[in-house]
Amino acid sequence: MEILRVENLCKSYQMGEVEVKALTDASFSVEKGEFVVVLGPSGSGKSTLLNIIGGMDSPTSGKVFFKDEEITGFDDKKLTEYRRKRVGFVFQYYNVMANLTAEENVELAMEIVENPLPIDEVIEAVGLSSRRDHFPSQLSGGEQQRVSIARAIAKNPELLLCDEPTGALDYNTGISIMALLSKLNREMGKTLIVITHNSDIALMADRVIRMRSGQIIENTVNENPINAEEIKW
Amino acid sequence: MTKMDLMLVRMIKNSKSQFLAVLIIIITGICVYTSMSMASANLSDTLDTYYEENRFPHLFVQVLGVPVQVAERLERVEGVGKVTGSLVMDVPVLTEDTEKRKTLRLITIKGDEQELSRSTLLSGRALSDNRKEIWLINQYAKANGIKAGDEIRVQISGADYTMEVAGIVANPEYIYLLESSQSIMPDDEGFGIGYLKEPLGRLIVDEGQNYNYIRIEYEPGAKEEALIEAVEAQLKPYGIISSVKREDQLSNAMIQEELLNLRRLSDSLPLLFLFVAGFILMMILSRMVKKDRLKIGILKAIGYDNQQILLHYVKYAVMAGLAGGLLGSTLGMALAGAMTKLYLEFFNLPLLTVNFDITYIFKAMFLAALFCLISGVVGARGVLKIAPSESMREEPPKKGKRILLERVHFLWKRFSFSRKLVMKNVFRNKKRTAFVISGVALTYGMILFTVTMPSVVDQMMNLHFTEFQKMDYNIGFYKPVDERAVRDLYHIIPIDHAEGKIEYPFELSRGHREVTVNILGLKKDTQFYSFKDTSNRMISMPERGILLSENLAKTLKAEKGDLIRIRSLLTEKEDVEIPVAGVVKQSLGMNLKSMRAQLSGLEASYAMAKETVSKNKILYEQGVLSRQEYDRAVTAERELAAQISSPAIFY
Repeated sequence: MEILRVENLCKSYQMGEVEVKALTDASFSVEKGEFVVVLGPSGSGKSTLLNIIGGMDSPTSGKVFFKDEEITGFDDKKLTEYRRKRVGFVFQYYNVMANLTAEENVELAMEIVENPLPIDEVIEAVGLSSRRDHFPSQLSGGEQQRVSIARAIAKNPELLLCDEPTGALDYNTGISIMALLSKLNREMGKTLIVITHNSDIALMADRVIRMRSGQIIENTVNENPINAEEIKW
Repeated sequence: MTKMDLMLVRMIKNSKSQFLAVLIIIITGICVYTSMSMASANLSDTLDTYYEENRFPHLFVQVLGVPVQVAERLERVEGVGKVTGSLVMDVPVLTEDTEKRKTLRLITIKGDEQELSRSTLLSGRALSDNRKEIWLINQYAKANGIKAGDEIRVQISGADYTMEVAGIVANPEYIYLLESSQSIMPDDEGFGIGYLKEPLGRLIVDEGQNYNYIRIEYEPGAKEEALIEAVEAQLKPYGIISSVKREDQLSNAMIQEELLNLRRLSDSLPLLFLFVAGFILMMILSRMVKKDRLKIGILKAIGYDNQQILLHYVKYAVMAGLAGGLLGSTLGMALAGAMTKLYLEFFNLPLLTVNFDITYIFKAMFLAALFCLISGVVGARGVLKIAPSESMREEPPKKGKRILLERVHFLWKRFSFSRKLVMKNVFRNKKRTAFVISGVALTYGMILFTVTMPSVVDQMMNLHFTEFQKMDYNIGFYKPVDERAVRDLYHIIPIDHAEGKIEYPFELSRGHREVTVNILGLKKDTQFYSFKDTSNRMISMPERGILLSENLAKTLKAEKGDLIRIRSLLTEKEDVEIPVAGVVKQSLGMNLKSMRAQLSGLEASYAMAKETVSKNKILYEQGVLSRQEYDRAVTAERELAAQISSPAIFY
């Protein structure tokens, strides 16, 4: 079942007198429960694509459908609701609230939705049971990213968007985070879109979308995705 | 508590000193508001109660002499409830100190409960009918160290009288103890009020069965203007010197003015504090929003909407407002009692009505919260502009362009690198630069104003006493005296020059414009007074016609050559029309706190004024006022003003 469809998406910025094309004619679709990796070097337009899919940015042209709804036609209010109910974000630099504990960070997201997942289950799922009362300054980078993931899934969204989730982590921590995301995808059935420049992570994905200079150059289905523990980079 | 609120509480906790600084300003402002407003309300209530209990009259009429029966008949005038007549005369007090002039205003009383302007006995006993004793007003007794049981010597019509001070009293007519509207400041040591029983008063004051001072209380719903007209019609044959409504009664007007000032101050001073606090809050929040750009983006990405995030920051400001309002008003209430007592002591009010009106807490909290809410919204409105995707990226640097100064090459190339940076900052942050410059200018302005004001007043004083009024002494007489009195003065005291003048109230009108002013009649060849017209040219006293001061001319909309109708308030003489001979510059006012009822500044020729008023009489004004005394009074007034204004300047 198709959960997301991107049609001829374009995005250009005006930088002084120069027009920068961040995204050109991008089209693809994602099935429900799919693990998609958007792969590309820095400046290839993958973050722009993720922002538009996540309702954080608007395209210059083209359409994005979430299920049957065209989110690119949403006003601010509807976009906020879309971000609140349908999408969970995980950022490269975790971006957790510094003056809230791990548990409170998760609750921050839960408070604005009607049917969040049980807090204990979420904390348990990300492996933070023993660290739930710690403030971000008392947590390692990996633990902070786990908080960020917990915050994203606690709202029980259908789509999980991860922007370079391992970009700021060391190898082992990166592996464990990818393993966690993969587990959430498999066990909770969350549709997962991960953008990364790390091609090894693509080995885990069901679908790999390769980007360069704002264009999708390849959209392939990975018939044999591997486990996170098997990846090496 | 929601996690957003928890973040807010921790944010405040983490920036305690910043929050505390704003809180202190709000607390100060609200404390001033609550304490002053409550003190003002309490003072007003106390005054009303005092007036009611002591039957403070509605109308005060000063006459040359009206028979007792005529005065009593005034009670038949529609709307008049009660009439009390008195004999009033100012007499010198005889003391060892010959340097200091002391005057006692003797006022006769009947001593019954129904009397208007009843005194409150603070110490001592009631006046007896057959002994030479008086009640002394509290302020004078205190300033001169006189107690009940002491004796006081006064001179009445040339004879010495020693009277026993039976009691010390307070009276609603003299809460603010001023000798006349010409007095700048109360001189408690030099001027007092003595109350004596009417029979004793008649015995020592040769006034027959007359009163020269009538007080009137209205019945509820009385029509004041019609009543005054009727009263004046009945008293006119006996020479009305003045007819003053309660609102214009000297002491009441002064105290009401003080109350008004207090109310104005309690309304404006807190606003100043709240504006400052609001401005600081605005700056804090605006900076906070800039600093929290990423955090705001994340919240938006999670699904928080603009209103929720804006509210998060506005709550910071509102919390400061509510906390400041609560603490400030509580502190203000605690201070209000002490402040009220201080005011009551200052005004010598024997009563004390202190009410703690709890609504002030709510008013204060509402006021502070409202200010902070507005500041919060203005300061945090940047939240609305932050797009979540943009916030994830570094904020792009501001557009840079060459500043104006860079075009002045020969100057620009002489600047060092660091100075160039400073200059660029100054020119690129125009709002900040303008704000800093205005702040510095305002501060310097206030300092310069404070520093230079005394010398400006000095200069005005010098100009006034060297150019416009050159006499060293003004000697006033209780009754009009013959012109020979001026010549007699040469034999009594060593003087270079003396001349007589007359001063009396008249009603001036031009068209529908009317004003009651004191007319000053001067000799044509006066050596003491000089005048400058509006173009600063010296002009001499005209043969016929009147000189109007600038303000008076404005009030009457009169110019040189216009006819002014003059009506005497004292005699039955017919109205006269006199041409305006010129408009003169306003010299230094004799009464810095000028009152509506005592506008002065109209000069007429001596001959004309004499003819209008009476024949060959120099009219009286009680007391002697020297230039030095006037100078001292102005200095005292200035010092008091400086004391009052210094906290405001400090803040």
